[in-house]
Amino acid sequence: MSLILKLFFFAVSLSPTALLMGWDGHLTWTLLDGVGLSLTLTPLAAFFLLLLALAAPLVALPMLRRPADWPSLALYAALLAGMQLLLLAGDFVSFFIGWEIMTWSSYLLLLRSPRTEMATSQSYILFNLASAFLLLAGIMVFYGLTGSFDIRPLVGPTQPQQLALALLFGLAFLIKVGTLPLHIWVPRSYDEAPDIFSAFLSAAISKMGVYGMILLLTLFPEALTGLYGRLLNGPAAGYLLAWVGVITAIVATYKAISQEDMKRLLAYSSIAQVGYITTAVGVGSSLALGGALYLALVHTLVKLLLFISVAGIVLQTGQRRFNDLGRLIERMPISFFGVLIGIIGLAGMPPLPGFAAKYLVFVSLVDARWLLLLAAMILSSTAAFIYCYKLIYAPFLGHANSAGAREAKEAPWPYLVPQVILMALLFGLGVFPGFAIEVLIDPVLTALRMAPLGGSSWAVLTTAYGGYDGVVLMSVFVTAFVLVTGLFLLLRGRMRRAGSPYDLSYAGEVPTEETPLHYGAGMGRELRRIPLVGWILRHSSQGFYLGLTRQMRAAAGLLGGFYAGNPQTWILLAVVVFAVVLGLQAVTGGI
Amino acid sequence: MHAILDSLAMIGVSYIMGFLFYGFYRQLNARVQRRWGPSIWQNFFDNMKFFFKSETLVHGPMFFFGPMIIMAGAFTTVLFVPFLKDSNWLQGYSQYGNLILIIYLLVVGPLGNALAVGSSGNPFGVMGVTRGLTRLMGLEVPFFLGLGLVMLQHETTSVHAIMAAQDGLAHWGIVTNPIAFCVILLPFIASQNGSPFDVVGAPVEVYAGPRVEFGGRLLGVLMTQNMMMSIAKLVLVTDLFLGGATNILVLILKAFALFVLTTAVSMVFPRLRTEQAVDFFWKVPLGLGVLGVILTVWLPWSA
Repeated sequence: MSLILKLFFFAVSLSPTALLMGWDGHLTWTLLDGVGLSLTLTPLAAFFLLLLALAAPLVALPMLRRPADWPSLALYAALLAGMQLLLLAGDFVSFFIGWEIMTWSSYLLLLRSPRTEMATSQSYILFNLASAFLLLAGIMVFYGLTGSFDIRPLVGPTQPQQLALALLFGLAFLIKVGTLPLHIWVPRSYDEAPDIFSAFLSAAISKMGVYGMILLLTLFPEALTGLYGRLLNGPAAGYLLAWVGVITAIVATYKAISQEDMKRLLAYSSIAQVGYITTAVGVGSSLALGGALYLALVHTLVKLLLFISVAGIVLQTGQRRFNDLGRLIERMPISFFGVLIGIIGLAGMPPLPGFAAKYLVFVSLVDARWLLLLAAMILSSTAAFIYCYKLIYAPFLGHANSAGAREAKEAPWPYLVPQVILMALLFGLGVFPGFAIEVLIDPVLTALRMAPLGGSSWAVLTTAYGGYDGVVLMSVFVTAFVLVTGLFLLLRGRMRRAGSPYDLSYAGEVPTEETPLHYGAGMGRELRRIPLVGWILRHSSQGFYLGLTRQMRAAAGLLGGFYAGNPQTWILLAVVVFAVVLGLQAVTGGI
Repeated sequence: MHAILDSLAMIGVSYIMGFLFYGFYRQLNARVQRRWGPSIWQNFFDNMKFFFKSETLVHGPMFFFGPMIIMAGAFTTVLFVPFLKDSNWLQGYSQYGNLILIIYLLVVGPLGNALAVGSSGNPFGVMGVTRGLTRLMGLEVPFFLGLGLVMLQHETTSVHAIMAAQDGLAHWGIVTNPIAFCVILLPFIASQNGSPFDVVGAPVEVYAGPRVEFGGRLLGVLMTQNMMMSIAKLVLVTDLFLGGATNILVLILKAFALFVLTTAVSMVFPRLRTEQAVDFFWKVPLGLGVLGVILTVWLPWSA
């Protein structure tokens, strides 16, 4: 019985794939007079459905491991259904229904973790409901303007109308992607959620915010340019959005470096990565949107890989802090390669596809002539090397620092199979950077009436500013590696393995088992001595929200003054309000 | 066949230039300090000595593969930088790459080696890696901004196209875009691990350097890649700002001139701590870069 249920569940997790393959058509269903649900698959939605189709089964596989948590599985199925409805939506009613199902089922899934604290779950639902209500308000404004819920470009909107829509929808989606200062719910919930579900939160659910942002641009006839014209060679309104993204990326990167827990580090790094996507959406050109979609694809793959590997480490060692791990490279070699490929993709190193995505965004910034943004983005993307190194050094290298790390075994196969698949995908996309462009991204750009980026073959990434060839790059590197290793081994002389892990050059002393040799969580602590970084790390948006809470309380107290217990005051107030309204109406000639 | 010969030639040229330049540096440094100093071939002898050591200590497989990755990274970098313009030779695979790719390739090797350092289990080595990454974070921002100014000026990321646009002294990058050159000069010295930004693995602080655990042939590999990588960077800056070179002699001359300029700076200034270096990069070169952006992009005459 349980096997059949599990098979059924796995089949459900394949439903986005089936939908992507099988959907061709248009479904409408009338709810009320003039209001109906309409389901259709646009190329933009199909791209994000592909991300979902990649993430869903790979996350489902480790979830099915015994003992299976049946409520979690049911909620996961509901979550998938909600997200598919959201992506299929051709009108805002179904979009909103999908959005709400996603919010609630992910909230309940978050609660399935024994580690979730009250404050975390409250902040999760509070921010996500705020996002949903902003979305609802935006939908109402949209309906007021067009008289229809269908998602289609506005016809001749005025600037205030566009601004209202951009603010309401924009805030709703920015909460979902977690840009500064709306990110406060992200690190806690990614950290405390069930270990496997964190992968889905970061890889798939945050992408729905990105989908929303790009969808928002399609509502305006001239995208962001229509709002405040152009600045240098890009949209002026997008310049602001791009800075929001880059500042998010910089701050989140430094916060990630200073974390002492693997999942929290990954959570901050997700915020930073989605910050880059926000920047690219802000630039808004064909290159930049191509880059944004590419980044979304790579981020989905990389974060699935990293979160699943980390979940495997936590499962096998029972430890999640950098100080308590170490030397797992010999005990968990496949997970080591998983994290290695993951961080290479995350850091945007060639020849993996992270580089192709970043290259597109960099070039789009040069094209828009926004060089200061380029420098700021380089700052965060170079600083990311430090947390990437920490993520591989502290668990896998150095010295084992706890009994769990000393005795761990390789993660079970349901954790390893997704890792191997993801590594292969990342490797393949890196060798053929043009494949993702031509097959996945160009249809979207064409549908958005932008210039496609496709090159002459799948091996090359081409732009007007030049490009590179992934196959040549990979072959040169691999050939060089093989040659160097071969030549090295041909040289005379022998190699000897160090006698013990304490056989080190240690400033003239001989370290023992008691010597603290694992650099672990201390890494990056010295960064605080750099004035700018120290300033960033000393501040947090917590103070802002505490202040906001205080102001809300004060305002509530002020309002509460009107609700006096005495009925006479009530009646007096009512009479005064009635008189004032009547008076105003009389003055303006309403009566 | 041509590609193989060309690749071998590039690797050979960069190696020979590497040890001669560094040998010259040791001579010059000694003379400035009123010593005799070693011969100009000393770096070559040192390198060979390391390669023929009879015993090499390793700390596990990753420790061995780290230096191999960094060496492969150095070869790849050299092969993606065009050494000459208007020539069939010394091109490597540069037509398949671009400027941004080269900048990233410069980092691939050191990151691979960082894995080996971590694998050795020596905390001082890891401390050195962290210092190196911190310095990298400091220097890349102004360096990339300077390169961004160049990419914007020529509207391309292709090194070939940038070189081709600089025909004649009046069109050299250093003449047409002097601000960009000033912006990248100091970060460039840091990326060459030159004083005053050489606290990562600095000679007297070897116990906190990334190379602390390496010896024998592996140290030889690290030394070789360092010399080749330095030449690749010198050639790259020559290509971008000094008009490139049409033959090997001109190339050596220009790269050497640049090398002397950077060593002159290195010999005069005392070493900075990591955080001082980063703070310096974010104030002086980056400030100059921002000024450059304002002058060439934001102000009305620039359009």
